[in-house]
Amino acid sequence: METHGVIKKVKEEKKNNLKMKRLKSFLTKIVFFGILILLWHILTSVESWSNFLFPQPKEVFLTLWQGIIDKTFIYAIYSSIKRLIIGYLISIIIGLPLGLCLGRINWLNETIGALSLGLQALPSICWLPLAVLWFGLNEMAIQFVVIMGSVLAITLSVRDGVTSISPIFLKAARVLGANKLKLYTHVLIPASLPSILTGARLGWTFAWRSLMAAELLYVSTGLGSILMVGRELHDMSMVISAMLVIIGIGLFFDRLVFGYFEHFISIRWGTK
Amino acid sequence: MPKIDLINVNKVYIGKTGIVHALNNINLTIDDGEFLCIVGPSGCGKSTFLNIIAGLTPADEGQVLVDDMPVKGPGTDRVLMFQEPALFPWLNVIQNVAFGLRMAGLLKEESYDRARALLRIVKLEKFENSWIHELSGGMKQRVALARALALDPNVLLMDEPFAALDAQTRDMLHEELELLWLETGKTIIFVTHNVREAVRLGSRVILMTARDGKIKREYKIELPRPRHIEDTELIKIAKIIRDDLKEEVLKISGEVI
Repeated sequence: METHGVIKKVKEEKKNNLKMKRLKSFLTKIVFFGILILLWHILTSVESWSNFLFPQPKEVFLTLWQGIIDKTFIYAIYSSIKRLIIGYLISIIIGLPLGLCLGRINWLNETIGALSLGLQALPSICWLPLAVLWFGLNEMAIQFVVIMGSVLAITLSVRDGVTSISPIFLKAARVLGANKLKLYTHVLIPASLPSILTGARLGWTFAWRSLMAAELLYVSTGLGSILMVGRELHDMSMVISAMLVIIGIGLFFDRLVFGYFEHFISIRWGTK
Repeated sequence: MPKIDLINVNKVYIGKTGIVHALNNINLTIDDGEFLCIVGPSGCGKSTFLNIIAGLTPADEGQVLVDDMPVKGPGTDRVLMFQEPALFPWLNVIQNVAFGLRMAGLLKEESYDRARALLRIVKLEKFENSWIHELSGGMKQRVALARALALDPNVLLMDEPFAALDAQTRDMLHEELELLWLETGKTIIFVTHNVREAVRLGSRVILMTARDGKIKREYKIELPRPRHIEDTELIKIAKIIRDDLKEEVLKISGEVI
């Protein structure tokens, strides 16, 4: 009975320690960002700073709040995310199977693989002039830039994942009777899940950046356009609040969507 | 009754360090239900031997017959176990054991029932839902054994499967494997560099030469079972084989000097 008491005690201690650790790290963050905003406030309160160059934090938050209430930010977020998701999904649909094939078929890797590597050296926004010529000043042009930004990153990560699969897995699967097709669906794809995650994450980042660049250059709706409108109106609090929204969206997807996927992998592979 | 026939089998590797004649005109007959152990210095072609029978690598010359049929590729009548467990980290324990059955087209429930029965044999039924990284080395190798047995192969090919385990775990697995062989009468080909392990398990031990891929000598092991690795008779036989093996190892080191 005594041992049970000990086990219970240690368990509880461990649980409390974990709680304390989380609370501590949360508080540290709060304090840090609090100090940051306070510094910002003090700096901008000094007279010599022109308000239109560097607005006070409270003005930025006010603009942000107003943008949400009059729905300009909501519309901008909606149209940016819609573009992002469409472009990203197309990139995944192309990049995933293409990467798998590149990793397995040598001649394809020597041709398309080399081409992808070359094109990846080109920042995707450089496609905009051509895209506008080909598709006109419309959604297609922006979409093209987004896809060119993310599809290559996804393809190449998946390819590297497939080529680095330990050959022992393939041997074991063949010995256990996996045929060619099942080798793909039951071994190659699941074995390269960690690199698929890396690729998907990288592709998402590239898509997000390409989209913002495209929206900045080609004014329509969207968060990038709000930045440009803010610049033209000399409204820096608008610019900074749009920047905050862009950061927020980036973090949200990285934590929630990819965080879940990462958890899925870490309990299986025992990483972390 | 012969189960596996190797006829003039040759295999040559050309690498950066030179040419290795891994198998040199090997002629060998393995009987149905035999427990054959192959020992030899490292790099002597022991693993190649198994890979060719498993159908993972083709022989450069000669023929391998299993049940009088030439080996053309991997088949589920001969399952190969590796030194590493090679379990799939994206599947849990029972899914790993059921993998071969699922590949063969069995339904999920049916394959899980059979996998569960095998996990009972290797005494891991409590861990069917564990992930692979949660198991110890010995447990992993037992799951790998269950996975290999799931397809009920006539021939079990084992490539130093216990080499990375501690002595106690290895003793236990020797017992389990011996029992399994006695009960099922499967043909087992077991490759190891540990002479005593070979004598502990095998009904015949083959010693391979160091460099030229030949069979140096054969030993019939007629000790009663169940055996134990500390048996005096067993140690005596192992000593004889080890002396022959030493000759081969010295041959390599002599070359270096």
